[in-house]
Amino acid sequence: MKRALAMLAALAALLPGQKPENDPILKAMREEMARARELKLPGVEDQLYYVEYALDDVRSFSASATLGALIRSDDARARVPRVQVRVGKPAFDNTNYMYTDLFGAARAGGGVPLDNDLSGLRHYYWLATDRVFKGSVEAIARKRAALRNVTQQDKLNDFAPAQPTKVYLERMEPKVKRDQWLKLTRELSSVMTAFPKVTGSQVDFEASFGNSYLVNSEGTESRYPDGLFFVRAVASAQASNGMTVRDASMIVGRNLEKLPPEAELRKSIEQLGRNVTAMLDAPLAEDYAGPMLFEESASPQLFAHLLTANFGLTRQPVAEPGRQFPAIQSEFEGRKGSRVLPEWMDVVDDPTREEWHGQELLGSYPVDMEGIVPQPLKLIGNGTLENFLLTRLPVRGFEGSNGRARLPGPFGSKAAVFSNLFVTAKQSLPDADLRKKLMEMVAQRGKPYGIIVRKLDMPASGGLDELQRQSMASGQRGGSTRPVALPLLIYRVYPDGKEELVRGVRFRGLNARSLRDIVAASSTENLFHFAGNGSPLPVLAQGGYVALHSVVAPSVLFEDLELEKRQEDWPKLPLVAPPAMVSAK
Amino acid sequence: MFRTAILALFLTQILPAQSSKLLDILSEELDRNFKVLKEKGEPPPYYLAYAVSDQEAGSATAAQGALLASNERRSRTLDITIRVGSPKLDNYHSVRGEFAQFTRGAAISLDDNPDAIKRMLWRETDRCYRQAAERLINIKTGKEVKVADREQSDDFSEAPPAHAQEQTPKLEFDLGDWEKHVRKLSKALANRPAVLNSSVSVVGSREVKYFVSSEGARLMHGRPMARVMLSAGAKADDGMDLATFDSFDASTVKKLPKQDQLKEAFEKIGRDVEALRTAPTVDAYVGPAILSGRAAGVFFHEIFGHRIEGHRLKDETDGQTFLKAIGTRVLPEFLSVIFDPTLKQAAGVDLNGWYEFDDEGVTARRVAVVEKGILKTFLMSRTPIPNLPVSNGHGRRQAGNEVVSRQSNLMVEAAQTVPEKKLREMLIDELKRQNKPYGYYFQEITGGFTNTSRRGIQAFKVIPLVVYRIYLDGREELVRGADIVGTPLASFAKIIAAGDKLEVFNGYCGAESGSVPVSAISPAILVSELEIQKKESSRERPPLLPPPPPPAETGGGLQ
Repeated sequence: MKRALAMLAALAALLPGQKPENDPILKAMREEMARARELKLPGVEDQLYYVEYALDDVRSFSASATLGALIRSDDARARVPRVQVRVGKPAFDNTNYMYTDLFGAARAGGGVPLDNDLSGLRHYYWLATDRVFKGSVEAIARKRAALRNVTQQDKLNDFAPAQPTKVYLERMEPKVKRDQWLKLTRELSSVMTAFPKVTGSQVDFEASFGNSYLVNSEGTESRYPDGLFFVRAVASAQASNGMTVRDASMIVGRNLEKLPPEAELRKSIEQLGRNVTAMLDAPLAEDYAGPMLFEESASPQLFAHLLTANFGLTRQPVAEPGRQFPAIQSEFEGRKGSRVLPEWMDVVDDPTREEWHGQELLGSYPVDMEGIVPQPLKLIGNGTLENFLLTRLPVRGFEGSNGRARLPGPFGSKAAVFSNLFVTAKQSLPDADLRKKLMEMVAQRGKPYGIIVRKLDMPASGGLDELQRQSMASGQRGGSTRPVALPLLIYRVYPDGKEELVRGVRFRGLNARSLRDIVAASSTENLFHFAGNGSPLPVLAQGGYVALHSVVAPSVLFEDLELEKRQEDWPKLPLVAPPAMVSAK
Repeated sequence: MFRTAILALFLTQILPAQSSKLLDILSEELDRNFKVLKEKGEPPPYYLAYAVSDQEAGSATAAQGALLASNERRSRTLDITIRVGSPKLDNYHSVRGEFAQFTRGAAISLDDNPDAIKRMLWRETDRCYRQAAERLINIKTGKEVKVADREQSDDFSEAPPAHAQEQTPKLEFDLGDWEKHVRKLSKALANRPAVLNSSVSVVGSREVKYFVSSEGARLMHGRPMARVMLSAGAKADDGMDLATFDSFDASTVKKLPKQDQLKEAFEKIGRDVEALRTAPTVDAYVGPAILSGRAAGVFFHEIFGHRIEGHRLKDETDGQTFLKAIGTRVLPEFLSVIFDPTLKQAAGVDLNGWYEFDDEGVTARRVAVVEKGILKTFLMSRTPIPNLPVSNGHGRRQAGNEVVSRQSNLMVEAAQTVPEKKLREMLIDELKRQNKPYGYYFQEITGGFTNTSRRGIQAFKVIPLVVYRIYLDGREELVRGADIVGTPLASFAKIIAAGDKLEVFNGYCGAESGSVPVSAISPAILVSELEIQKKESSRERPPLLPPPPPPAETGGGLQ
């Protein structure tokens, strides 16, 4: 309720031009939506029962540089529309069929005016609704035909009911500081001239000013600011055995006012240079099975990575005979009430929380993509799975949204992903004691050293190619083909306390079930932010729709996790030595 | 202090916007890499070239008085050519039609920063070299076990290294101004409810090309370009989608047509597309037809031009329509076909297909491909074919692709011409002779497809936009839904006359090496027999609801 009050206050403070009744985008949506209700095809029984117009209105500036030189920059405006029409009835409509998108959403087309021109905006929605409506009628007919030949495992409704809501927040207006940002990007990228052994590096800057719009035929309306900025850096080099070593960082936020000062950004990029240089000389790790401690960002990264795709439930669409759709299923499917963490741990998803110990949380949102205002939700209580993240898509065992529709999904649905995830431990140890416990376990097991992981490659900085190679390599050796993040900063720690950076390993058999084997957690907590697309391992340079997430988690100690050597064919070193750096600082 | 400030101001103004510093960076790194690879590489390279395309462009699109898109961008794309082995047999050797691609068009720094650019050159050279060496080794292993290819020409020809450093005029494109212009222009069709989609786009661009090679070539040259595109779309009651299009190309933004002329052209395509909605549809037809100069230009580009691109004759999987035809008649005696990339204007229109050096650094030149109906040569890159050992400056690519032989400015020259009025009379005579009730006049053609591969049928299809039936009494009737189809050799033999007025079609041609600017210049031609096929068409109904009220009633406009 606190949230709703805050919103009312925001509404009262809106400038006259910001008032929702005057907003030309909302106005065009409403006016065409009123006409859309009249859409009818002669001789067709299925009636239109739901229309949804959404629009992301974005101005986005981006620049990339390497070694102090600009590679590209872009300053673009875009209005990205989504138009959905449902025909039939909530119990059976044109969605949840493998060709729903082919006949529906994909036909909305582009061409939304960038100007706030009521006539132009209405013209777009008029034609887009017409095409999507006709496609939806075709889709429901084909879905019915397909169902004559296949049996459905679950008879679920296609669309869950929801209460209409109205949420209007003040628009975010772009403030592009082109020259300042170009300078910053060049400057930050020049940091790497001080690391001659780093042979590949790049800094990307992006500032996006966005506003999200939604109007549906049930009376729901929303408009809220949706901004994003980031400074992303990657650095790589080729070790003497040919292996590529790499480190990456992404400083991300929602509002540019929170952009850290340049000195702080430089420091984080210098750290990449130092890390990559150190990795070049780091020994190759061996296979390992034993106690493992996740500290610093590695802990929230691990929870994000293993949990992100598991709190949402997927649904098999109606398929054509002989054409099953291979949807990746949640590892938690059917495990409500089962233990998935130690009894002394809880997980809460809280989209209403804006701050954590003075630091901004990025996962918060006022209303989801289906116009539902979210509330905090306990996902895991005392180690037991209590809830899933739900949208208006009915899934086995659940019908009714809890306001977690944050990304477009397949077959006319939206995808549920978490917002601000809080992993908490009721039993915890100070950092030093946790470390001591690791060494005790190492001694008990008679191991020469233990393993500490401080940073994972999550989101993955190697791109999709490397992700595929990794999951293939894992599959060939009998493991899961679900992609697993590589450890970036991983250390051997010896009984005398000495730490040694190692390289060239990946996790074996790491999945959500591994989390049950956590034996201890720290009393300090680590915060990690990232932009994801709903997949278990998002890629760092992700395009398209993304949702921002924050994860807070303590450091965690596992009794038994495995590492295996990466045995890949590394390319030979170049015949020609790298060019000498002339502007080294 | 005051004087120094003025001096500095002048200095910045006279500094060239394009840099030979980049040429220096490229040649330094080229020399360093080439030297080491020649010493240590196994197999060693015998040729290395770096090409950089520096492109800047501004563009704006509007519809119904509102801006749809607006963009300014600049990029520098690096293409590396590395050849290992020898000119007789290297890594580009064509094996059963496989198209070797080594370059990937890496983005390099927009600043002339030696550290950033050299690192990228070094990394990309290493990557290309590895792939090149691997492919050559595979080819050699394959060659030993398989029968030698029938075609025995070399893989790379000699060409004198060219040197030039030319300043390209700056891009003068005011995005804000053009946003206003296209908004205003696009309003012209806002009050025509039958026109469902329409748009006005403008692009102003400038490309500067840098090229250095291990043979000593050193080039900097380029050109600005400007283009306005107008389009309109509608739907007939039977569901057929209809489109009309017009475009204007100029060598600079300033030379684009005035607003009034653009508005007139836009209104015309709006009227045309409206008229097409109620025009009768065609049935399959074979008989006489006239192609306007612009339509004939596209016809020649698609049907003739793509078959005389030299590299296709090296490829066993190609149809090789003209492989053994040099010295033989391929067109009627009164026609010649010339490709002239050195020509910047024809019939008072700026041409799109000109350049001074091709993308292998070879100086552009006029090439008479057909003289008085007799085939003389092919369009050549530095990839030789039997009996044609050298390039004639037609090796082209869009940045990011490998070079192949491509067209430039195609010119159809007719030794005998007749006034256009006479051409119509000749059409009617031909109709009477063939006992046909009507013939066709193709006014606008948007483009087409041609298949030159042996797989599939050796055929073409061109897509006309504006077509008229011409009856025996000279009456014209607009029709819709016609495609021209046919087989190339048969079609050329049936050209019986040409008009006396040249027309220009400017466009972009897409093929293996990407999209390149081209032109086609031709008089109208009369063909005794052309085959027309019914266009495949959508059956989706026109919009169910009437359009929303136009801007005048809602008081829309800019905010």
